[in-house]
Amino acid sequence: MTVLLTFNVIELDSAGQPRGPGAPLEIDETGTISFGSSSERDIVLEGDLISRHHFDLTVSDSRVMLTDQNSTNGTQVNNMRVGLAELGQGDVIDIPGWRLEVTSLSFGVTEPETTVSPQGFPHDVFGDDTLVDVGTLHSHGYPIEERKFCAVGGGLGSFTFVDHLRCYGVPSSDIAVIGTEKVSYATYKRYCRDSQIPDHERLRSNSLSTPDNIWGFPGYASREAFGGLLRGRLGGFKRIFQVFGEPTLAESYTPRAGDVFDSLDREERRIDWPAMHRQGQARCIRKLNDGRYAVAYTMRDPAVAEADRRRIIIADVLHLATGYPATRFVDDFQTFIVNYPDHRHMVHNAYAPHDQIYDAAEAANGPVYVVVRGRGIVASRIIQRLHEARKRNPQITILHSMRSKLDPTSGARYGRARRQVRTNIEIQPFNWPKSCWGGDLRFEYERADKAKRGAMLTTLGGTTTAERSDWIGIIERGTEEGWYKPVYGSIREILPHDDSPDKVMIRVEGEGGHRAELIADYLVDCTGLISDITRSSLLNDLIETYSLPRNHAYARKGDGFEKRGPTGLDVTPHFEIEGLRNQRGRVYASGTVTSGGPYLAVDSFLGLQYSALRSTDHLVTEGAHGVKNLGPLRSAGQWLKWCRGAKP
Amino acid sequence: MVQGGETMIPTLAGRIQTRLLLFVLLGIPLTALFSWLWLPLYWDLLFVFLLTVLATVTGFGLIMDVVYIGLQRLRWDRDWPFAYQFFFSIVEFALVLWAARSGLIPWLPAEALAGTDGLIMASSHFATVFIPSFLALLGPISVFFIRWRFKAGQLGKL
Repeated sequence: MTVLLTFNVIELDSAGQPRGPGAPLEIDETGTISFGSSSERDIVLEGDLISRHHFDLTVSDSRVMLTDQNSTNGTQVNNMRVGLAELGQGDVIDIPGWRLEVTSLSFGVTEPETTVSPQGFPHDVFGDDTLVDVGTLHSHGYPIEERKFCAVGGGLGSFTFVDHLRCYGVPSSDIAVIGTEKVSYATYKRYCRDSQIPDHERLRSNSLSTPDNIWGFPGYASREAFGGLLRGRLGGFKRIFQVFGEPTLAESYTPRAGDVFDSLDREERRIDWPAMHRQGQARCIRKLNDGRYAVAYTMRDPAVAEADRRRIIIADVLHLATGYPATRFVDDFQTFIVNYPDHRHMVHNAYAPHDQIYDAAEAANGPVYVVVRGRGIVASRIIQRLHEARKRNPQITILHSMRSKLDPTSGARYGRARRQVRTNIEIQPFNWPKSCWGGDLRFEYERADKAKRGAMLTTLGGTTTAERSDWIGIIERGTEEGWYKPVYGSIREILPHDDSPDKVMIRVEGEGGHRAELIADYLVDCTGLISDITRSSLLNDLIETYSLPRNHAYARKGDGFEKRGPTGLDVTPHFEIEGLRNQRGRVYASGTVTSGGPYLAVDSFLGLQYSALRSTDHLVTEGAHGVKNLGPLRSAGQWLKWCRGAKP
Repeated sequence: MVQGGETMIPTLAGRIQTRLLLFVLLGIPLTALFSWLWLPLYWDLLFVFLLTVLATVTGFGLIMDVVYIGLQRLRWDRDWPFAYQFFFSIVEFALVLWAARSGLIPWLPAEALAGTDGLIMASSHFATVFIPSFLALLGPISVFFIRWRFKAGQLGKL
């Protein structure tokens, strides 16, 4: 068990008073649980004012999110109407006629012996064997499905891999996908929304990074331009010019989030994603003695009876793309949350839902101070959002906390080039230099030994933002008018303010030991997510059972670089996890679980497509699983099918 | 969480291979078509001449590629904006045309390109080949060569 969430569910009378002591509700599995008045919901709450699909709870290994499903009468958490909120112990959900109190919420320890339960499923099937006998597997009576390919994760990494298989000619009946979310981009979209990128805002991605199209053509820019033309608007051609001139003559083109999601919807239908997709949580993977693999999973499909939900898929080839296992926050932030739960609402991670601070800051009738920590692309977007909030409340002040001042010549250097700096922030259109995706830096990095890779990773990566004139304009105007202030130094401590309990105090230490205290209403931490793959019980079990090697982080030390803690799974340039080879059986991976490996930009649309292409080509080269090569003519034929919207 | 992408990020080998690919797949057939439309009676003679001009421009471009790669390495992203590609392609052609009309290229007789007629013919031919070739770089090559965009413009397996 990785999570235990208990509620006291109280029915209210028309005056809002409890009708009784309430009834307990216990949730001990991750996944999405729907609430509403329709009998199709997982939890049915009756009442005229309850929408048929009122809200969802998304339970992961590390957090519980509530999403209002555009209900007519709304959902309140702690007396505040919310669209999206993270739940904690003691929170109270109110919908008309019902109150749900979170009486306890605990996330399991991540040691594998507790997450892969020693008695129950799937340990009862696999036992302690690292090589499981197929006959024994069948004797347990769990439903078993046999496929050639199985993609574990169900997000964009799984999707790009499966999309390649399908376009290479593999029928959908040979493929199974296991994922907790129904649509491939659900998790990605949630991260976007939380970090203030709604559907109409633009992603940090380029025109040719098209996860819905394995060729990258036509790109999003031309689709947008011609789409606009069809609707009688000429503005679209500005986009073409951006692609043409980027980044020297125009700002880099980036696609709208909503357009990308719509394109993925179309491709999901085209490749029969729903037919291949099993909604559930992969629990454990084992090699089989016949050269295949068994994936034990628990179905999350509400249509399937509880007793029937534990299942096994046997496949010849696996693909692992489970994404960020859990969102871990930086230490000082985590300490504050744990020590001062009453002040939890003042500090937020930019990747977690925090809309309420904008609502509160806009509604306030006096000065509001918001500390924005970090200088990446998310910080830029949060500052933009606060700038929008200033239109409702001009007394909002942004304190931008950055570790140190960056003068225009102190950007990162590699070879004979130097990264540009604007307003104390390093500028780069995407999260790696462009040639890391398919140019000379990709070749250079793949050829390099581990130490050189470490040095390149440290130098070429780092926190950067895109050069957007609106963002630079906001900072320049804010500095001039005094509502944007950069604060340099490392944050040492975050505490509730002694005198005014509704404020947070942030101790900052600058260069040369100079100390400062910031007193603010809110802190938004934009330093990002920490990806620790051992927090995924599935991956941790695999790493331990098969002693899989890991990549390592590197950090600058003096003139050189020093090796730091382990990062992603070690994979070959074909993105194969060699330690999991099993006769003809192969396991591939992609995305953030492979970070630090043979490719820098693994955590990007184009990076996912690159890894999928490498892995699919590897299957073709090995010739053992019937995947046919995609040469120029077959490729063009498949592309025409994509254009027509025909099945591959 | 953030996403990345490419525009044109060729290596030297990629530039050379892509240039030759476009010469063979688009340059030769489009030159034949142009010659046939321009001078139906003597199209074969015109074809050989124009192909020689095109080969000279391509050859000059291959030398210039070394310079472009040097410039590209000074850019942090090590990329080559499409606008540069567009501009320098026209410069390459203009220089070769000027040299030929000045009689500096032994295998291209200056009189064949002389006067306004020669200028119009050579420019029309160049536009006929250049515009589709440039558009092909913006993505259509990937339709046939799916690995091309990850191989810095080179052909073959990854």
